Amino acid sequence: MSKDKIDLLQGTLDLLVLQTLTCMGPMHGYGIARRIEQVGGDVLILNQGTIYAALVRLQQGKMISAEWGTSENNRKAKFYEITARGRKRLVEETENWQRVSGVVHRILDAAAGEAAT
Amino acid sequence: MNAFFDRWVARVRAVFAKPALDAEFDSELAHHLEQHVSDLIKEGMMPDEAARQARIALGGIEQLKELHRDSRGLPFLEQVGRDLSYGLRVLNRERGFATVALLVLAIGIGLNTTVFSLVNTVLLRPIPFTHADRLVWIFNGDPAASSHDLSGIASQVDTWEGLRETSRSLEQIEAYNPFSVRQTYRLTGAGDPETILSVDVSYGLFGMLGVKPLIGRLFLPEDGVKNAPGRIILSHQLWQRRYGSDPRIVGQTIQINGGPVEVIGVLPPADTFTSVFFPAVRVDTYAALSNDEARNWGNTVSLIGHARPGASIDQIRSDLLLSVAQIKKEYPNRNPYFAANVISLHDWVAGSLKRPLQFLWIAAGLVLAIVNFNLGGLLLAKGASRRKELALRCALGAGRARIAWQLLTECFVLVATGTLLGGLVAWGFIHFLAVRSSVEIPLLNGLRLDASALSFTVLLSAITVASCGALPVWKLARVGDIQKSLNDEGRGSSGGRNRSRTRSILVIAEVALACVLAVSAGLLVRSLLNLLAVDLGFRPQNLVAVRIDPVGDGPKENYLEEILDHVRALPGIEHAALTDCVPVERDRSWGIYPVNKDNPKDQRWTGAHIRIVSSGLFAAMGTTLVAGRDFDRTDAKDAPGAIIINQALANQFWPGESAVGRQVNVNGNFPGAVIGVVANVRHDGPEIPSGNEMYLSLHQVNDGSSWDMIVRTKLPVAALTAGLRDVLRPIDATLPLTKVRPMQALVDRTLSSRRLLVWLIGGFAAIAVGLSALGLYGVISYMVSQQTKEIGIRMALGADASTVQRHIVLQTMKLAFCGLAFGIGTAFVAGRGLNSMLYGVSPEDPTNYFVATLILLTCALFAGYIPARHASRVDPLIALRTD
Repeated sequence: MSKDKIDLLQGTLDLLVLQTLTCMGPMHGYGIARRIEQVGGDVLILNQGTIYAALVRLQQGKMISAEWGTSENNRKAKFYEITARGRKRLVEETENWQRVSGVVHRILDAAAGEAAT
Repeated sequence: MNAFFDRWVARVRAVFAKPALDAEFDSELAHHLEQHVSDLIKEGMMPDEAARQARIALGGIEQLKELHRDSRGLPFLEQVGRDLSYGLRVLNRERGFATVALLVLAIGIGLNTTVFSLVNTVLLRPIPFTHADRLVWIFNGDPAASSHDLSGIASQVDTWEGLRETSRSLEQIEAYNPFSVRQTYRLTGAGDPETILSVDVSYGLFGMLGVKPLIGRLFLPEDGVKNAPGRIILSHQLWQRRYGSDPRIVGQTIQINGGPVEVIGVLPPADTFTSVFFPAVRVDTYAALSNDEARNWGNTVSLIGHARPGASIDQIRSDLLLSVAQIKKEYPNRNPYFAANVISLHDWVAGSLKRPLQFLWIAAGLVLAIVNFNLGGLLLAKGASRRKELALRCALGAGRARIAWQLLTECFVLVATGTLLGGLVAWGFIHFLAVRSSVEIPLLNGLRLDASALSFTVLLSAITVASCGALPVWKLARVGDIQKSLNDEGRGSSGGRNRSRTRSILVIAEVALACVLAVSAGLLVRSLLNLLAVDLGFRPQNLVAVRIDPVGDGPKENYLEEILDHVRALPGIEHAALTDCVPVERDRSWGIYPVNKDNPKDQRWTGAHIRIVSSGLFAAMGTTLVAGRDFDRTDAKDAPGAIIINQALANQFWPGESAVGRQVNVNGNFPGAVIGVVANVRHDGPEIPSGNEMYLSLHQVNDGSSWDMIVRTKLPVAALTAGLRDVLRPIDATLPLTKVRPMQALVDRTLSSRRLLVWLIGGFAAIAVGLSALGLYGVISYMVSQQTKEIGIRMALGADASTVQRHIVLQTMKLAFCGLAFGIGTAFVAGRGLNSMLYGVSPEDPTNYFVATLILLTCALFAGYIPARHASRVDPLIALRTD
């Protein structure tokens, strides 16, 4: 495992799944996993299977809904779609995330500045 | 919050939709893999490599499924469910063990629940009256006196009214006439005439106690005035039995003692008043007590006070002392001999049962302890045979906590099933006890399996799981043993030594506790036997009391003599006589003093039980006439007063001298001569020593209003009743003859609560001895099975069967002796606590210890002999080959 890849923080996977579904519309599990991998590029390690644990959690909390449909290559696949509750949660969580990451940023910047002087 | 709630609902549902959800996830995963593989192939990968890469990207399929299940469902609960069903399978596999364990548990828990219900009903729960904690019992006489005969503790109406006026600590004082229930009335009208019991209560009593009528009303002040029209309240059972539960009975008039009485109400099915104050008595009706009518009857009312909020018993006591002083000052011309003592109503009702019930509770606890030790031993033994299975599971990766948890769950399955069975046992016992209408324990008919009893049962089973499960779990789940277990072939005695030491300790404790119970039970059984052998002063066998209540006012002696003449002429009747006071059941006292001719002022008054009787009573009762003569026809109405006294009274007045011919005065208005002296009669039953007694002739005293004909006959009650009906109906057409009771039954009733206690403790002791024998048997047979190989070798080397047997039996006896040593020591201490419940036997009595020891040793011998015989039949060849 290469050193410059990072593990996903607990709970952030849910956020990523919701964001993906918001951007891309209804998708199946494989599609979501691939999409996150593509966007994350070489930086994120994604164990594709963990997507499904996140999906079942979100579905049980009614953040997303699921329906069996037909995939692009004509196979039966389970498609997930974000719900109104999911969108609301995404907004809240995104704000939350940005606030936290902003704070972390500022602290780290200050620490880096001190180290430089 | 909503999302959280939805998620949990979904998780619970997921547990039940498992197969469908698993299938759905399988196809989702299949699609995922397929898609990924085809994408990878498109990117130019070889199919095999693509499939491999796709799987790697996904992670392990089985782990993934597990993760999915855990995230969507309730992994912890599902785990518990799996353990439970595994536990059930294990029990099903080991049916023999399960049957024994469940039986033992059901008995232990059933008995404890029953005893708890009894203790709860009588001692712990407040009496079922409103503000029961504020109700007090006010009684007359000297509180330290040993005899509590009713005349001594009842109060006069004047005292009652005086206390009502002057007491500051009591809001209300109400009364009932305890003597009224001794009288019977004749209920006539539609159907056979019937003898009924009625209690006179003050009009406010039921209201104060919170007794509410089922239909109709309670008494009002106007019902209690002198010469008020007769009005009664029916008990539920009479209403059901005689009037077919017809609600229209209220307002109707019925015939009692030949006069019209209006029914004003019916009480609810649970007659709390009677079950508290007259246990084992079937009261049929309640009438209003009239103060003015009862005023001059002497001590005739029992008083119940309702304290002001916050008043303590001590405050009430000192307040009543002040009241008594004030009453005596204001009314100097009233009888100055009265007191107003007070104790809480609950103490009055249940005080005498406190010790026996506490003892019963402890005994039941001991039985449960033995049950737990036994079960613990069984689980240990069973665990031993499962060590390899457990070790294997450990080796396959099950954690120590996981295994411990599973063993506890198994124990829980066992105990929970046992508890259910125990609940059934308790339900049966409680039902059995609650319908024992002849047992004189207050509130017994209110006994039922209620929520608190069930919670107690659940608590017991939790304790049982913890105490039985913990030991084997701790022993078995030790990871350090695993390697050893897998290697251990159970050869010789080395493998199980540590465990059998634990089991031996458990068994020793069982034997010790069983010994304590056996010794205690022995003491109580012997007390009961002593009581049954007590000379009552009369012979209750073949003696029948027939209630005869003449109707109307005026002298009854001619009517009574006529009845006696007819009955005496009946075939099969040896003796017949009349008394107004059946021993054991009724008591009342009058004053008497010996006349001092030289100094008429010298009146050494003493109280004595009074019976007004016909001639021939002593012959009928079997009471010995010690000196003088019985009443005869010469003791007529106008003849000089004749009095027969008992030996106790004779000895008190004229110790060492002859009493016959002495002049005495009864109540200051009946002068007469002592014409005879008879043996003492235990008028309160076998447990209470005789007091002073005197007998007057019914021809000379016109006081009795209710009579019992004492008939000595070998005829069965039914035949006697039929014979009496034939000869007496022509004389008195409405004579009920429904109260024909063998005297033995009356004597037995006074011993009923003791008998019940003896039965229960005796049963406990028997169960305890049985269980300890079972425990011994278990340990020894386990030991034998562990040592099969060793025994085989020894027999192959020439040991004969009897040597092997002797060795094993000796080991059993060693355990039994250890247990007995502890048990006898403990019993010695416990016996002292029992002292107040014993009669005629000392707690240190050696015979008792000897018998208990003998019984336990015999059981131990059997418990050891069975496995010993089994071992001695071991075929060395087979034994050496067993694993």
